[in-house]
Amino acid sequence: MSDNSIKIFTGNSHPELAKLVARRIGIDLAKAVVMKYSNQETSVTIGESVRDEDVFIIQSGCGEINDNLMELLVMINACKTASARRITAVIPCFPYARQDKKDKSRAPITAKLTANMLTVAGADHVITMDLHASQIQGFFNIPVDNLYCEPSMIKYIRTQIPNWTNAIIVSPDAGGAKRATAIADRLNLDFALIHKERKKANEVSRMVLVGDVRDKIAILVDDMADTCGTLGLAAKTLKENGAIQVYAIVAHGILSGKAIQVINDSVIEKLVVSNTIPHEDKMAICPKLDIIDISPTLAEAIRRTHNGESVSYLFSHVPE
Amino acid sequence: MRNLVVFGGSSHPELTDLICRRLGISAGKTKLQKFSNNETSVELNESVRERDVYIIQSGCGHVNDNLIELLIMVNACKIASAKRITCVIPYFPYSRQADVPYKASGAPLARLPPATPQGEPPQQNTEDLSQQLLKKLTLAAAGQETNKEKAPYREWVARSGTLIADLLTCAGADHIITMDLHDAQFQGFFDCPVDNLRSLPLMIKYIRHQIPNYENAVIVSPDAGGAKRATSIAEKLCMDFALIHKERRQVRSEKAELILVGDVRGKDCILVDDIADTSFTITKAAALLRKKGALKIYALVTHAILSAGAIENIERSTIDEMAVSNSVVSQNQRITSKKIKVFDVAPIFSEAIRRIHFGESLSMLFDPNHAIV
Repeated sequence: MSDNSIKIFTGNSHPELAKLVARRIGIDLAKAVVMKYSNQETSVTIGESVRDEDVFIIQSGCGEINDNLMELLVMINACKTASARRITAVIPCFPYARQDKKDKSRAPITAKLTANMLTVAGADHVITMDLHASQIQGFFNIPVDNLYCEPSMIKYIRTQIPNWTNAIIVSPDAGGAKRATAIADRLNLDFALIHKERKKANEVSRMVLVGDVRDKIAILVDDMADTCGTLGLAAKTLKENGAIQVYAIVAHGILSGKAIQVINDSVIEKLVVSNTIPHEDKMAICPKLDIIDISPTLAEAIRRTHNGESVSYLFSHVPE
Repeated sequence: MRNLVVFGGSSHPELTDLICRRLGISAGKTKLQKFSNNETSVELNESVRERDVYIIQSGCGHVNDNLIELLIMVNACKIASAKRITCVIPYFPYSRQADVPYKASGAPLARLPPATPQGEPPQQNTEDLSQQLLKKLTLAAAGQETNKEKAPYREWVARSGTLIADLLTCAGADHIITMDLHDAQFQGFFDCPVDNLRSLPLMIKYIRHQIPNYENAVIVSPDAGGAKRATSIAEKLCMDFALIHKERRQVRSEKAELILVGDVRGKDCILVDDIADTSFTITKAAALLRKKGALKIYALVTHAILSAGAIENIERSTIDEMAVSNSVVSQNQRITSKKIKVFDVAPIFSEAIRRIHFGESLSMLFDPNHAIV
C-alpha cells in the first residue's frame, strides 16, 4: 500500500498565502490552472494526478467573492471526480459568514447555503480561521476545524507593542466581549467595552465606554474590519476618554470601500490584520497597516491533519 | 393568479418584465445588491409563504455572481416557506465547456498554459546496461521516485455540469425550466424535473415570416453536433439540408479544414446553431458557404452570448442577417450591429409558467403548428 502525500492547490484569491504555507511544509504547490473562459465561466485544469492523495485547496473568501467561491467549488468537484482520497477546503476567511441568521423576514442564511454547497461539491473536511460565529461549525455535517488567530495576536502584543503591560483590551461592540476577555485574561490585562447607545429610533447613536482607559494604551480587538466605521468612532471615543494611544488588532481585514481613508484620518496608531486576506496594494497607501502572518498556523494544521496528530496545540500556541 | 410570484434576478431584468407583462402580473419586489466587500445581498420584499415561486435568472454577464445570486434567492424562498420553487434559466451556465480554452480576445490558446507540465517524450536509452543500473541505484538512494514521472500526465479539465445541478438542488430548487440545453442529457444530472423548452417553433415562425423565398433556401448546420437540430427544422419546413464538418487530421495543426457536405450553389443559406459565443464557428462556416456559391446567408442562433469581439467578427463576416433570441443579454450590452435582429422568447416562458402553475400540459409548446402570438 503506497503512502499518500499532501497536495496543495490554490485558486486565485490568495496565492501568496498558499505559497507561504507550502514553503513551510516543504513542498511545492501542485500544478493547476484556474482562469475564466471568454464568456466569464470559470475554467479549472488540474495538472497533476491526485488519485488517492490527500488534497488541500486553499481559497479565501475575499476580493471577487462569488468568483472565488465558484473556483473553490469547481476545484473540489474536479478533485473528487479525479478520485482523490480526501479533499480538505482550507478557507482562511469564510465567505458570507455574517449572514448566519434569519434576522429579518425572508432573509437567506447564506452561510448555511455555502456550507451545503461545499459538502455537495465533495469536500470531506473544512479548515477555517476565526469564524464570525463559531456556531457555523454546526452548519456542516463534515468535520470543521476552526483555528484561532488569538495566539498570534497575543504574540504580536507581547513583542511589537512597547509598554504593553500598561495596556487595556477594549472590545468595540458588545458582541465581541467574549473574544476580548479571553485575550485580556491570557495577558493579565484589564478589559473595557464600547457600547452603542440608542436613545430613540432614527437618532444618532453615541458610543459609550464601559470601563476606565485613562493613561493607558487601548488595544481594540475584533474579528472583522470591513468599512471600519465602528473602529474609527471607537478610537475617537477612547482618545476622548483619556487613552494615550489606540491600537486595533483584527483577524480579518476586509477593508472595503473607504476603510483605508477612515483609518488614515482616525486617531488609531496602528491597524494590525492577519494575512487571511491579501493586502499588498493596501500597504502602499496606508502607513498604519501591519500584518500578522498566520501561514505557520495553517501549515501546521495541514501537516497535523495529514499525519493524524492532534491540532489542539494550535489553539494556544503559535508554531515557531 | 393569487398564489404565483415571479422574481427576477439581476442578470436579465428586461426579460423578466416581458414575461410578467404577458402573465398579467407585476414582478415580485426584491432588492438585489452587493455589500461593500462584494458579497451578494438579497432582500425579498414580498411574502412567499405557501406560494408558487418562479425565479428568472439567465447565465449571462458575470456568470458566477448571477449564479450565486440565484442560489441565495432560492435558499431565501425555501426557508421562507415557499410551496414550490422553480428556477427559470433561459441560458443554463456551465452547460457547455469549450474543449480548448480561449483567450479573452477569442482566439484559441494554441499551447497549453505554462503551468501544466509538458510530457517529455521517452528518452532512447543508448547507455551501457551497467551504467543504467548505476544511475537507477543512485536515484533510488537519493530517494527520488522516477516511476511516477515516466508516463506524461494529461491535464484534467473540470467539467462542472453535475456540480451546478447539485448546487441548485441543494439550495432548494424543486423544478428547473430552461431553453435549448446544449446537451439534452443534462436533464439527467438533476433529481428534480427539468423542462427543456425549444426555441424551434419561434425559429420556424421567423423563417416563414422574415426570410423571403425560404422554400428554396438550404438549412445548414455549422458543425456535426448540431445536425439533429438543423434536420428537424428542415423536415418541418420541407427544405433542403447541408452540413459543415471540421476535419481533424491525425497531425495536430492549427488549421482544421472545414468541409461542406451538401450543395448550396445559387441558393440562400440559413445557418442554425444553439450558442454563438466567440462566433468563430458561425463566421467561419459563413465564409465557407460564400466560397461555395451561396447567395444570401442568414444565421439563426438561440443563445447569443457574443463575448470578446464577436460583434466585430459578425460585422466583418459574410453573414447578411443574424437573428438571435433575447434569452441572454449580450456581453456588449447594446447590440450595435445592423445585421443582428432579436426575436422574443418571453411568450414561450410565460406560457410555460402559466401552464405549470395551473398543472396543464406543456406539449403544445413543442408543436410548431401551434401559434404563440
